[in-house]
Amino acid sequence: MALAPNLTEIAFAVGAGDRLIAVSDFSDFPPEARKLPRVGGLDASAEAIVALHPDLVLASRDGNPRGAVQALEAAGVPVLAVSGESLDAVLAGIRQIGERLGKGDEARRLAEELSRRRQEVRRRVAGRPRPAALLLVWPDPPQAAGAGTFLSDVLEEAGARNLAAGRGGWPVLSAEFLATAPVDVLVLPDSPDARPVFEKSRASGALSRGAAVTARVLRVPDDELSRPGPRVFDALEALARGLHPEAWEKAP
Amino acid sequence: MRTDANAGALRLETRGLRALYGRTEALSGLDAAIPAGRIVAVLGENGSGKSTLLKVLARIRPPAGGEVLLDGAPLLARPRRETARRIAYVPQSVDLVFPIRALDLVLQGRAPHAPGFSADSAEDHARALDAMKACDVRDLAERDASALSGGEARRVFLARAVAQEAEIWLLDEPTAGLDPRHRLEFLGVLRRRHSESRLTVLLVTHEVDLAARIADRVLLLRHGRAVAEGPPDEVLTAGNLRLAFDVEFRPGAARLEAAALSERPPLTQ
Amino acid sequence: MSSRAGAHTRHPFAMAFALLVGACLLGVVVGGVRLSLPALWSGSGAEGEVARLVASIRLPRVALAGLVGAALALSGAAMQALLKNPLADPFLLGTSGGAAAGAALASLAGISPLLSPGAAFVGAAASSLAVAALARRGGRLDLQRLLLSGLIANAFFSALLLGVFSIASASAARTMLFWMMGSLADASFGKVAALLPWAAAGAAVLLVYAARLNLLAVGEDSAAALGVDTERAKRHVFLASSLLTGAAVAFAGIIGFVGLLVPHAVRAVAGNDQRRLLPLCAVSGAALLVAADALSRAVFAPAELPIGAVTATVGAPLFAWMLLREN
Repeated sequence: MALAPNLTEIAFAVGAGDRLIAVSDFSDFPPEARKLPRVGGLDASAEAIVALHPDLVLASRDGNPRGAVQALEAAGVPVLAVSGESLDAVLAGIRQIGERLGKGDEARRLAEELSRRRQEVRRRVAGRPRPAALLLVWPDPPQAAGAGTFLSDVLEEAGARNLAAGRGGWPVLSAEFLATAPVDVLVLPDSPDARPVFEKSRASGALSRGAAVTARVLRVPDDELSRPGPRVFDALEALARGLHPEAWEKAP
Repeated sequence: MRTDANAGALRLETRGLRALYGRTEALSGLDAAIPAGRIVAVLGENGSGKSTLLKVLARIRPPAGGEVLLDGAPLLARPRRETARRIAYVPQSVDLVFPIRALDLVLQGRAPHAPGFSADSAEDHARALDAMKACDVRDLAERDASALSGGEARRVFLARAVAQEAEIWLLDEPTAGLDPRHRLEFLGVLRRRHSESRLTVLLVTHEVDLAARIADRVLLLRHGRAVAEGPPDEVLTAGNLRLAFDVEFRPGAARLEAAALSERPPLTQ
Repeated sequence: MSSRAGAHTRHPFAMAFALLVGACLLGVVVGGVRLSLPALWSGSGAEGEVARLVASIRLPRVALAGLVGAALALSGAAMQALLKNPLADPFLLGTSGGAAAGAALASLAGISPLLSPGAAFVGAAASSLAVAALARRGGRLDLQRLLLSGLIANAFFSALLLGVFSIASASAARTMLFWMMGSLADASFGKVAALLPWAAAGAAVLLVYAARLNLLAVGEDSAAALGVDTERAKRHVFLASSLLTGAAVAFAGIIGFVGLLVPHAVRAVAGNDQRRLLPLCAVSGAALLVAADALSRAVFAPAELPIGAVTATVGAPLFAWMLLREN
């Protein structure tokens, strides 16, 4: 059973998708996952889970509340909690989950492949001037990914300089900062929900003046970017290509 | 007793007055007549309707039925401001949550005379200070009224009534809770104002001796109706008092007490 | 409290206006981004442009903060006089809960965020009227029941809001939450112009009733005997106060402690005469909120704090200190 969408994706990616009996609410990738029964969101109810008698529950250390995880353990349900704090953690998580599900080889292969792609991105953007960027997880209020967050990591790996790195966590940026900061690129996790909100903010809200308007907008699919799973490496590549298109023009 | 030009004229009159206190009927068809220039004591036990009577006359509560006349014309038909210029109400107790200068409290008495209820002119100030002087509270003018003693506060409210230039005063249990000295001071001021300004005073009390001592007429209430009305000697009989208060008074005791007190020399200040 | 109630500051209005002007200057100059006044003055070149841009973002905020602060402080002062309770605060009486619920429900129903101030205002008005109706007793507005009804209304709206949050989409909940904590982030002169008539109307009514409020503050009976139509006065003051609060919440979210603290501070300095207290509260409330807005932009720059958080963080200990001092 997987309690977060990224964990569902990892399970399928290592070839263990058929072992899943239930997944969390927003697990919509791969398409097969949509057919599986739902067991609640990030705050899934421990009782519902126990009632289904899973052999293993995959939990997210950052996403699922610790209390729920402890309740499961107390009820004797085996839980594997993995962290999604950084790209390294994602790779480690893939390996751990693969091992536990008896797909150790596949997991290692996958992790190596993803790691290679990551190295490739690093190589291509190395030495290039890093554009000043803001990754807005949400446009209204304008909330950016600050220092130490997973998304900030991804942003920096893709070869940008996070302007919001002066603050940790998820700072809500003031309009005056957005208007005057030397921002080159606004990175937006794109989703059907976020688009209209962004448009409104662009039209008359915090993103409607100064630098926020002149900056380039780079959209990356939200469910790739924000889930600490295999697809984040797709997002990483897309982001890097968007930030440094010249790096992919010539053959390596 | 004094005589004056208005002796005999009725300032306030009620006919078949009914009024509610909450859900219960506090006044059940009261006929009362308050002659001009007199001090009338409304006497009765708690629940007899005496405070409610005062509140109806002060237009604090509306009646449930019957008539109330001021100088022969219906009281409630007149604008509130106008009646507030003629009738002053001195409450039994006031809960002053915020600090307020005693002078400002007295100035409030000028409100019915001032446009927008805002009394601030030099003349208002002068009258307020004079009123405080007349009630022996001039030196309290700058003090915080919420910090005054019971007796001082009552006299400040009297000063307010003076500033209001009302000819009719309605006093609700004016001496309740006052120690003897303050009681005497208060009554002294009241008497002085009454004689100087030909006031008509209606005073509610359950203290029989006070009624005996100070009133020209007594109105005895029980269960929202008048039991007796007239000069104190006539009204304050053992029989009436037993009826009104369910208590045995020693015959003549009230009057004896009144007689003894009236022999004291009048207070001069 | 000292028994010399007359010992107050001279020229309180001058002081209050000075504070306001100072706060406005602060509001324009201070913030995460440095504003160079000389550049703004000369207006030339890239520096001048940046300065103008920043000023154009900050000025509407200062104006909105001032107007909202004035409205909240006025409303609080009037409610304290009306309820004879120094702890009275329009938020206690359910208005803010209703406003927040109105906006939240509108958001849930998918109504454009453009209309949410309108929805908040409707919620505030509906809540005020319901609370007033609950507090009627024998045809009169019972002030004690008013406080109680307000508490019940707030409890109800809190529950409603929690329910809305739990079923709202993550995106809607996010936007709502930030607004609810009080935000001047999207201030514009358009909003100021929209708020102004409501605030002016509420303020005008209160100022007209100022002298009557003085009489009411001594007691309802006392005021009635002096010729005041107390039922009408109570009703009008309550509605005007709700109008001020509802409008403020509609445009700026829930900002607490202004309606509670400003009247206290002004009363300590200038006495409780409503004819002076009310206008002084308006000016002081404006100054306070403008200063709080500057703080909200400066403290964790470039991040911005919800202004409700600033007023609560400063206001709660300040209030505790005031209470202790009085003992």
